[in-house]
Amino acid sequence: MELTREEQAILDGESGEGAQKAIELVVALGRIYGAEGLVDITSAHLSGASYKTIGDGGLQYLEDMVRSGSKVKVPSTLNPIGMDMKRWKEMHIPPEFAERQLRIVSLYRSMGVKTTCSCTPYTGDNVPRFGDHVAWAESSALSFVNSYIGARTNREGGPGALAAAILGKTANYGLHLDRNRAPTVIIEADIDGSLFQHSLLGQAVGVRIGSRIPYYKGIRPGVEEAKTMAAAMAASGSVAMFHVEGITPEAERYDISELETVHIGRREIEEAREKLNSTDDVELIALGCPHLTDKEMHEIASLLKGKKKKGDTEIWFCTSETVRDRCSEDVKVMEQFGPVIADTCMVVAPIEGTFSRTGTNSCKAANYLPTLCSQRVMCQDITELLKVIQ
Amino acid sequence: MIIEGRPISKGKAEGSILRLNEPLSFLGGVEASSGDIKVEKGGNVADRVLVFPSGKGSTVGSFVMYDLKVHSKAPVAIINSTAETIVATGAVISSIPMIDRIDVDLLRDGDRAIVNADNGTVELVDVKSVESVSSVILIDGKILVLKRPATARSFPDVWSLCAGKIEYGESPEAAAVREIEEETGIAVTRPLKDLLPIHVREKNVIWKVYPFMFKADGAVPVINEENEEFRLLDIEEIKGLELVQGTLDVIEALTADD
Repeated sequence: MELTREEQAILDGESGEGAQKAIELVVALGRIYGAEGLVDITSAHLSGASYKTIGDGGLQYLEDMVRSGSKVKVPSTLNPIGMDMKRWKEMHIPPEFAERQLRIVSLYRSMGVKTTCSCTPYTGDNVPRFGDHVAWAESSALSFVNSYIGARTNREGGPGALAAAILGKTANYGLHLDRNRAPTVIIEADIDGSLFQHSLLGQAVGVRIGSRIPYYKGIRPGVEEAKTMAAAMAASGSVAMFHVEGITPEAERYDISELETVHIGRREIEEAREKLNSTDDVELIALGCPHLTDKEMHEIASLLKGKKKKGDTEIWFCTSETVRDRCSEDVKVMEQFGPVIADTCMVVAPIEGTFSRTGTNSCKAANYLPTLCSQRVMCQDITELLKVIQ
Repeated sequence: MIIEGRPISKGKAEGSILRLNEPLSFLGGVEASSGDIKVEKGGNVADRVLVFPSGKGSTVGSFVMYDLKVHSKAPVAIINSTAETIVATGAVISSIPMIDRIDVDLLRDGDRAIVNADNGTVELVDVKSVESVSSVILIDGKILVLKRPATARSFPDVWSLCAGKIEYGESPEAAAVREIEEETGIAVTRPLKDLLPIHVREKNVIWKVYPFMFKADGAVPVINEENEEFRLLDIEEIKGLELVQGTLDVIEALTADD
């Protein structure tokens, strides 16, 4: 791997221990994946934020990073944490969990990370531009910015993305390079165009193509549809980038004439939905995986307006603090039914202490709820889910 | 002997090897507070040179490695066949020396190892390397195999190809020709094919074996005292014999595409 003289000096420890550790990690990962050198990044998005997932090892690691004086060099945002920073008591979070979770957030903040803890920073808090090299963790977000925006990132892990943010550089390989961004399979989609069907489409495709790069025909996803589809593909497979004919900015750049075509229609969609459903009776309905956008907040509020909540099923609406602040009228309507929580979601919060059956309209959540949260799952369209509580 | 790999996480360490046979997820696979291994045969990673093929599982595994270090229960070094992101990340952030591109099948529990992750080498202090040759001799379409006596010092009582040590100053090809002459009485000249050496572990020796293939149609083997029996067989028949480790790999590599 070729390092500049400046990079070599950092590796030799001339810029302090924090920077040295950061470049050691970026170089080690680059070496594994055959990077020829490093590339400057314009932003980072970090995972490894929930105390539930990173535990005491992660907390101690962050303590030591801060002690060594590490600071991020590029604008950086943080993934959802294990609770709403203000409303954690309504989420049945134990105080000792809350204390450690808040400590983690304050450690990231003292390294210069913007701690609006969201999995959709590209809707406002951290928006890459076309062609930017970035270092993003969070599988759904990195796939969205690669695909819908045309920024460039690999699937970074939490510590790797943090090291890149501290350094302002990441290893130049994989999806940073033109030749690795070409589609490798055509998906001929035949779906009804609803948000939920886009999620199921992503689910069906991820299962079939693993880590390949799909080129979609037959859909015209907006931001919300692309968001839920990207999330599902990254959870059921490990898709980090996709193209959509006539929609995504790099779709027309590559020759697709020789590619294999996979058809996904009603049968495949129904099969995907069936596999994700393990209960038809829920204690919690959680919407917002990935986090609800302004548009989704308006839509949900208009579905709920004038109606009354019935039954004792709880409902959570998960979004970012930024969106919650912007949508205060919608929030008033939604709060009649359940808390609009920010900074977190049903997957990274420790819901297993309170619930055992959860409803979601996100295939990503439906993939992770059984393993990470010991839940049985109802995976349905939002209108079906809302019937339970109104 | 010294085996060369690739540096992943810098540093030097010495310790006794603990080898796992399957890819390892530190999350769920190793308990951070004690260093206890929860998979395979169990054991404890603290202060060992931990050897396993590759990492797998949750990315949180990197933080489990950090937590091991915090609890002073971390391995002193890590050796993998193929490094991946989770273990490499954990090794770097926890300052655990790590190398990869090592054939972990050559390493054994209890081997004393000096790991130098600055240049990517592992030295097995009590293990020596011996260079040898192993030849497929094709006679009228069959392969000649030899039964080693129960009294043989290495690989007793199993079947092998015509094989032996390379003598000081001898080229591998010359050694192969000499061994065939000594063990079977067959005179061969140029090999049909040769391959890069393979490595085989036996007790405290790692054999570096140069594979050759010779053709000797019509020849009648006359074996010496080094072996007690010979047979002319095809590959399927050979698979039914108890063989010196690596023999089938050599045969299959040499006879591929033919």
